[in-house]
Amino acid sequence: MKLGVFELTDCGGCALNILFLYEKLFDLLEFYEIKEFHMASSFKEHDHLDVAIVTGTVSCQRDLEVLRHARNYSNYLIALGTCATHGSVQGAVEGKIRDKLEKVYGTRANTMKALDPKPVVEYVAVDFALPGCPYDKMEIYQLLIDLAKGVEPIKKDYPVCIECKLNEYECVLVKKGLPCLGPITVGGCNAICVKSKLGCIGCRGPLPKEANPAGEFEILRNLGYDEEYLRRKFKTFARGELRW
Amino acid sequence: MILELGEFTRVEGNGKAEVIIENGEVKEARVKIVEGPRFFELLTLGRYYWDVPDLEARICAICYLAHSFASVLGIENAFGVKVPEEIQLLRELGLIGEILESHSLHLYLLVAPDLFGYPDAIRMASKHGEIVREGLALKAFGNYIREVIGGREIHGINVKPGGFGRYPTEDELEKIDKSCDALLRFAKRAVNIFATQEVFGAVPEYHIATDGYLYGEKLIASDGERFDYFEHIEEKSLPYSFAKQSHYKESVFMTGALSRLMVKSDRLTPIAKELFEQHREKLSRGNVSLNNLAQAIELVYSLERAKEIVGKLLDHGVKGENVPIEPKEGEGIGYVEAPRGVLIHHYRIDENGNITYSNIITPTALNHALMELSLYEEARKHYGAVDENFLKHKLEETVRAFDPCISCSVHLVRL
Repeated sequence: MKLGVFELTDCGGCALNILFLYEKLFDLLEFYEIKEFHMASSFKEHDHLDVAIVTGTVSCQRDLEVLRHARNYSNYLIALGTCATHGSVQGAVEGKIRDKLEKVYGTRANTMKALDPKPVVEYVAVDFALPGCPYDKMEIYQLLIDLAKGVEPIKKDYPVCIECKLNEYECVLVKKGLPCLGPITVGGCNAICVKSKLGCIGCRGPLPKEANPAGEFEILRNLGYDEEYLRRKFKTFARGELRW
Repeated sequence: MILELGEFTRVEGNGKAEVIIENGEVKEARVKIVEGPRFFELLTLGRYYWDVPDLEARICAICYLAHSFASVLGIENAFGVKVPEEIQLLRELGLIGEILESHSLHLYLLVAPDLFGYPDAIRMASKHGEIVREGLALKAFGNYIREVIGGREIHGINVKPGGFGRYPTEDELEKIDKSCDALLRFAKRAVNIFATQEVFGAVPEYHIATDGYLYGEKLIASDGERFDYFEHIEEKSLPYSFAKQSHYKESVFMTGALSRLMVKSDRLTPIAKELFEQHREKLSRGNVSLNNLAQAIELVYSLERAKEIVGKLLDHGVKGENVPIEPKEGEGIGYVEAPRGVLIHHYRIDENGNITYSNIITPTALNHALMELSLYEEARKHYGAVDENFLKHKLEETVRAFDPCISCSVHLVRL
């Protein structure tokens, strides 16, 4: 199988996390031949790919061209990480691009063709969307192995709370009144931030279907948290997707 | 004529360079950062201070703890909070983990393939598997420390103003202690490997670092000045890049591993000190490629220093008490040494604890002018004498020596 890793605008973590597989990375190489991965290799071959992994948000014209190339040249496209699936923190910065450029660079001129940051899923059809800021590295390992073996990958559809309970961590929302977004956030991280006795900040994006963000919002408001504070907290990783 | 270098590979983030040639002579070299802007300063405006370090961490995955800690220090300085030795030591330990993780990534996976003539470490592993695996072992250990202190390998949220969410257990500290001994010979071997690297790149006029080895209250420069960044560092925007360029007293300067060794070698641990003395003459030439040898010496320093810190913590026992914080109006700066150099977070906070001003300056931005000067000098040296592909390769190696982090550099700005 031929694999390409394409980075749009992001912190580099989602590509880096693939390298953090260490010995398991060598296991993947039993199935995959890396045709492009600019963080890790100077080797590059324009070729049709079986799997393209795309990380980051589309934040400038260059990103859009890279994304279109990745889509057009691949059978499967994986949007990897919350930037690619939901927009993440950089997608959460409000305002129009020229206003932001003026505030930060002191000019409205957009010579570098910056765009309002949006997730990959808003521009192209993706075959798999694996969120997480970053995702758990074993998730991408499993997904790539499943694809190589022709097994249908399993999609996580439960909240962070499930894994929190399995680890028997103390509930920081109920016991300490911390603004924990675990109940409305997709699981898969093994509730690692609650292990630190801190509330989930929602980095894996909102849980679709049964989640009740309005209820969560109400509970936190009753605990005395400011509405504006909560509104921003809810939207930090997911560009206003949560309604309440 | 413009000689275009396609997007850099084996660096973090997306950047390019172009060399402008007129009448057969190299006229100018530009480093262009083509990654989109990320506007982190706007992201944190109006946010409650407690949540800010978690957001700032996401500027960069390779050095997320440097960002978390710079953010925490800036916030604590704004509130006038002082933390006890235990928390200071744990913070230093976290930054050491990051140096180990980041330097070993850079040296073994990104630079070593140039030395051995391969396009990447994966292909290099077929012949030199042992070296690659030693690098991965160091990197995994650095990441283990980042997980223990930071809460996760990447973007953990355990680092908080006033202390930590969770403190390390005795078992975790003992595991760190044991690994330091086991890995030391790998780090020493790295020094030998990188001591053979060819010397290239420009020589900066000054070196800049923080006044403590991994973080501090002020910046220091190789001319003996101790200062706040806004006193002597001038930033300007560029029409062709999303990054800004900085000068110190109107001169080109450097920050990073080489700079730390040049201005702070008196703090080195015994074996690192010995290795530094052994290579002092070479390092003193100051060319940017020597940054790689300096990084290898810092691997040794990090293992020795981590052992000292863990020893102290185990002797005293970890109390795990956070310093309580009362938000009040204030202004503060955090100075941290990210693996690739000085990182600055500067905040103003209102009486409710919300951020009203934020300025972040990253090491890659600070090194931007020197990076262009290095490309210019290397291009002048080789243009016409070697074929174009070889020249491009040389120029990419020059950029890589800085261990640039482009994701970081695209939002280093003042509001």
